[in-house]
Amino acid sequence: MHLHHDHLGGAHDHEHSHTHTHEHTHDGVTHSHEHSHAHSHDHAHPHDHDHLHGEGHAHDHNHCAGACSGCQSQCEHTPQEELVALMKYMVGHNAAHARELAELAAKAQQVAGQGAYEQIMAAVSDFEKGNLRLSAVMAAMDVK
Amino acid sequence: MCLSTVYKNVMEPASVVMKNVMAIECREGKVILTDLMERQVEIIGTLESANLVDGYVIVKESE
Repeated sequence: MHLHHDHLGGAHDHEHSHTHTHEHTHDGVTHSHEHSHAHSHDHAHPHDHDHLHGEGHAHDHNHCAGACSGCQSQCEHTPQEELVALMKYMVGHNAAHARELAELAAKAQQVAGQGAYEQIMAAVSDFEKGNLRLSAVMAAMDVK
Repeated sequence: MCLSTVYKNVMEPASVVMKNVMAIECREGKVILTDLMERQVEIIGTLESANLVDGYVIVKESE
């Protein structure tokens, strides 16, 4: 049973009800249960929602990158929502790779010297600039 | 870490089951795929191979 289901931001708002099986892993235990609920929500992400499990405890999920974790509804996403979700994923993914490259640069400094370090860090900088550009495009798409 | 494309039985365009797959679970004879939008697809079968560098996975469907 959902206590509430808030989607932040949004392209559109609609009400619906549905039944779905919910599977979770927490505290090292995986279980699933079925429940139905009705709610109204804006269709944009990220979003938070709290719900009760069969055992009667509540917790909330914080979602990101447009992923509707815990809500296996048949909500349909618009192409724009999917694109924005993918962009968010890519930007986050690129940022993670930039951090990994910076770690590589530190290792390269020990193995191949200061020149290698500076070259890799220059590449990281270029990489981050590109990602910043993607981020700006994503933000523009997200508000439309 | 990267999203994958999952194919059924053979890696060819017509066999794409799901793109942007972020989670794969093998349970009770099924392979359960979840994409970035949290959509799920179940295939009765087994995981045949996964190439995490090139971002593709092949699932062998049970006959």
